[in-house]
Amino acid sequence: MTRSTLWLFFGGIVILLFGFLLNISYGSISIPFSEIISGLISNDWEKESTRQIVLNFRFPKALVAILAGIGLSVSGLQMQTFFRNPLAGPYVLGISSGAGLGVAFLMLLGSAFGMMSDGAVFSPWSIVIAGSLGGALVLLLVSLVAWRVKDGMTLLIVGLMFGAGVSAIISVLSYFAGAEALKLFTIWGMGSLGGMSWAQVYALSGMLALGLIPVITSVKAYNGMLLGERYAQSMGIDPIRLRWLMIISTGILAGSITAFCGPIAFVGIAVPHLARIVWKTADHKVLFVASSITGALLLLLCDTVSQLPGMAESLPINAVTSLIGAPVVIGLVIRKNFSKEF
Amino acid sequence: MEVLEAKNIHLGYPRKSGQKKVISGLSFELKKNQLTCLLGRNGIGKSTLIKGLLGQLSPVSGEILLGNRNLNELSKEEIAKEISVVLTEYSMPGNLTVEQLVALGRTPHLRWHGRLSQEDYQAVDKALTLTKIQELRKERISELSDGQRQKAMIARALAQESPILILDEPTAHLDLLGRHEIMALLYELAMKEGRAVLVVTHNIELAIESAQEFWLLISQDQMIQGPPEDLIIAGQIKKLIPGESFHFDLEKGKIVFPSEKLEINVQGPESLKFWVEKALTKANLKKVADTIFVEKDPFKISHQGKTFRSIRALIDDIKD
Repeated sequence: MTRSTLWLFFGGIVILLFGFLLNISYGSISIPFSEIISGLISNDWEKESTRQIVLNFRFPKALVAILAGIGLSVSGLQMQTFFRNPLAGPYVLGISSGAGLGVAFLMLLGSAFGMMSDGAVFSPWSIVIAGSLGGALVLLLVSLVAWRVKDGMTLLIVGLMFGAGVSAIISVLSYFAGAEALKLFTIWGMGSLGGMSWAQVYALSGMLALGLIPVITSVKAYNGMLLGERYAQSMGIDPIRLRWLMIISTGILAGSITAFCGPIAFVGIAVPHLARIVWKTADHKVLFVASSITGALLLLLCDTVSQLPGMAESLPINAVTSLIGAPVVIGLVIRKNFSKEF
Repeated sequence: MEVLEAKNIHLGYPRKSGQKKVISGLSFELKKNQLTCLLGRNGIGKSTLIKGLLGQLSPVSGEILLGNRNLNELSKEEIAKEISVVLTEYSMPGNLTVEQLVALGRTPHLRWHGRLSQEDYQAVDKALTLTKIQELRKERISELSDGQRQKAMIARALAQESPILILDEPTAHLDLLGRHEIMALLYELAMKEGRAVLVVTHNIELAIESAQEFWLLISQDQMIQGPPEDLIIAGQIKKLIPGESFHFDLEKGKIVFPSEKLEINVQGPESLKFWVEKALTKANLKKVADTIFVEKDPFKISHQGKTFRSIRALIDDIKD
């Protein structure tokens, strides 16, 4: 690893820490950095309300932003390298649409059968479980197809078709759903990083750790895939094995993040490109770490921006990531020689 | 000594209605210390044969032996340590430097974390030196010329340090000098490094220049093997060019256009006579009544009492 790579890592982590503090301090009530730091270190808070806001609301939310940023970027990078396609992202295998289907069944059908708990709100765990089941179902179907499919490109098309099919089912459910349930589902679809209990944050961290294991063991294989499947094979890499590791890893990462936070757009596609441009490398030993840092930072930043100043309300995270992500992708595409550099 | 040996192999692709056969019943040996060229027409099965030799397509029947072990029983990584390859297709990230590209060749020798050891760096250096592209080390792939990129791909294969090197049309997009450089390099690698080098090529003249062994794939079940000189003398090489339209000129060692008997009488030094006849043939002047005299130093052509300074002037005059 070169010196500039290490400096960029160091700089990225420093900015990430700063962004983390900024994210916690910013909101309907501003909390100074010094108070957050002393509070987190010595557990010495000036006001009980501040402690409540930081520890039970803003801290977990910032943590979820970092976790989701890492998970989505790492799955996006895996997809882009495996399929050798710059537009691939964590959602191309349809797993997140599957999670959406699970949640749609719960919210849209569940409400019809009067399953709504305390009036109009579903318990967060029920949403997570429904999302995970839906994601796992599509993961299973994609795996069954992957078993028969020979080349990567076919798998990519099949994944996209699965996503389209699942979205169609969601549309049908939405069409027949009641107004109240439809609004709930639409809001879920805009994504949310907040409102999670610590138990849920721990569960998400656990899933993420699990999903990252296959990545760590296949860094070498992803580098080999840079020259395409046939070259990878000639260098002793088994593309079929890598395909399974990729399906499992992105299935767990993207699936669980969607189940917990809703579908979060653009981060997974845009961040690996940003990391490639900033770190100027194609080496996955660097890129996986670089994408994690960039992804965490980007989502943290988006979440900070989504806080409307002086109001308790915040913009949906998905709208903000898309608003930031779309110009990034456009900028990338019109950048000279972009396709050559990928 | 043979390092890769095929015994009566049949290769094909599964189809709904049974098998599509591409190669049937071929046997051959790839030897060390030797540059072997595989020649054959488009679609005859060369690429399929290469896939078979790389272990990327299992033979329907017959066996391929690497050393004395069956290729089918070896893992991908074991094969990769024995055979490296340069393919025609490439999808390459442009932001990779030449050094990083060549280092990818070390993949089968690396542990799971993919970190390069001192030994790996030495292999990369050696590959860059052999291909004479040390000065391109830090250049990005997207900024290289076709010839430089091809050398970098060959260097990547060399860094894999496998005794067998297989190249599919390595000179396809290169200029004349580039082609000669690459073939000379491959010849050198076979001789100096003692590797077994197999090159698929369509460039028969260049192949005659550099290869010690020819494999002529004539049809799916016929492959003629031997030193190119033997095959030329025995007239075997003509089998590459079926039909009457083109033919292989034994003296010149190349494929030539069909031409009718010339009724031109050119006199002068052999080297000049050759080019004047060639130009007249292409100008479709197969019959010229009077003798044409050519002189060297200074170059001069005389015909029907007139003197010309260039072949063009002569042709223009005859056509008028």
